[in-house]
Amino acid sequence: MITPEFKASILKELRLDDYEIKDETLANQIPGWDSINHINVISAIEKDFSVRFKSIEILKCKNIGDLQNLLTSKLAKK
Amino acid sequence: MFIDINKVASLFKFDQYDPLLFASSFFLFLFLGLLLILSVIKERKIQSFLLIAFSVFFYYKASGDFILLLLGAGIANYLIGKGIYRNESQGIKRFFLLLGIVLNLGVLIYFKYTNFFIEIYNSALNGSIDAWDIIQPLGISFYIFKALSYIFDIYLEMHEPEESFFDFFLYLSFFPAILSGPIDRAGDFLPQIKNPLPFTNSTIAKAVFLISLGLLKKNLIADYISINFVERVFDEPSRFTGVENLLAVYGYTLQIYCDFSGYTDMAIGIGMLMGFKMMDNFNYPFKAVSVTDFWRRWHLSLSAWLQNYLFKPVQIGLRSFRIWGNAAAIFVTFTLCGLWHGASYNFIIWGLLHALFMIFSLFTKDIRDKAAAFLKIKGTWFHSFLKVFITFHLIAFAWIFFRAASFEKAETVLKQIITFFQPEVFPQFVDAFFPVFILMSIGYLIHFLPSRLELLAQSFMERITIAGQAVILALAIWISAQARFADLQPFIYFQF
Repeated sequence: MITPEFKASILKELRLDDYEIKDETLANQIPGWDSINHINVISAIEKDFSVRFKSIEILKCKNIGDLQNLLTSKLAKK
Repeated sequence: MFIDINKVASLFKFDQYDPLLFASSFFLFLFLGLLLILSVIKERKIQSFLLIAFSVFFYYKASGDFILLLLGAGIANYLIGKGIYRNESQGIKRFFLLLGIVLNLGVLIYFKYTNFFIEIYNSALNGSIDAWDIIQPLGISFYIFKALSYIFDIYLEMHEPEESFFDFFLYLSFFPAILSGPIDRAGDFLPQIKNPLPFTNSTIAKAVFLISLGLLKKNLIADYISINFVERVFDEPSRFTGVENLLAVYGYTLQIYCDFSGYTDMAIGIGMLMGFKMMDNFNYPFKAVSVTDFWRRWHLSLSAWLQNYLFKPVQIGLRSFRIWGNAAAIFVTFTLCGLWHGASYNFIIWGLLHALFMIFSLFTKDIRDKAAAFLKIKGTWFHSFLKVFITFHLIAFAWIFFRAASFEKAETVLKQIITFFQPEVFPQFVDAFFPVFILMSIGYLIHFLPSRLELLAQSFMERITIAGQAVILALAIWISAQARFADLQPFIYFQF
């Protein structure tokens, strides 16, 4: 499940008013989330939730749902 | 009728000067035979054994004993994939990954770059090491990259390793893609062994369309303008005026696209007839509105590979540096992309140019946006045209270094264009190279027409009967044979 806070963090960084994000949504399906902008979105999420992902953890994410799960697991450990 | 058995047998033997090119009648004859057998034996397991046997023969015919290298790469990567997956410990997983990287890149570097490194050593440090006697196995850059993508994806938990060695080896050695890609991901290819593309009229129509289109692109447009015009100018650019040099640059830009995408179209079409949908490799690259966009349209399977396994890891690792992290990742990725294309400075310069274009565009994005808004052209037809025009010329400029035999030759091409343009020669060019002029015009015209025309052509192919499709294919074969007055030209991308 994509949480509203997680979604808000992505939308804010990409300057989008709204966009439907589901677990199976792929990053490049979201307007503005291209290969160059990728690090900006990841850095924004890390900053907003005060977490730090390992590179390999990010590379293993297949879709936004995986990234949400990674974030949830990091927040649980805090 | 008397048939010379020895002559027939020699057709099946390794001959580096006579590989099984898709457009050769011998290939077409064998491939039709294979298709006939596949249509009788429906059991997929037996079909895949037949495909492996044909792939092994196809590679042996072009590369001889190097078939053993391909087999070795198959066995090693199959076992490494299992090693990564089966071990729970992260340390052991990493060990197997590293082993895979070292083995694969070691083989690639040895065969492809040893003599280049010797050359650098000799010129930089005044060394005097003789070049080693190394022959580069055909297609090595493609199948090693496929093998690497397989073990990377297992490490990144994108999919599990393949249980059957034979299925994995079919992925690695699949003959339509062995010499020049597409570099499909195992996760996309392997499931199709069990669940093949349905052999419907639509599949056949699309395959026949792609094969016919590929034949015309490669044999009619690319080969013809290459032999008759581009090659002559690039061999001795100083003997031609600037306008001819510029046209040769445009010619080469079209040639390399038609050559490579034409071969890939044929490969994808041939794959479809056997139940495999390989990934698209080109999407109207010269319609790109930026160099970054060009790489989303050109050699897609390579750019996806580089993005997944090189660009992203570097970029993510350097994300604290924000825009500079992106710039560094672009620089590393495209310098190595250049080197992947061949062991020579030309290719490195070509890759570096692409990197510089993209890094420049990264840092000037805001300024360019503001300038377009100030000039009130943002979002207009003119703005799009300008972006396509500039991108096309940046790409064409970089191809000069890719094509020229040496840096000096590339310089001469540019010098002629800048200092000795002589536009009045243009009518003479049209006169002297009329077929070249027509083919170049047609090639570019078709490229820049709306892409829905291609869909229209495909649906036309679906609506006509099999006999009609066969006539179109036969016509394409006949036209390419007519255009090929000399022997078949080797495919440009084989050497990479």
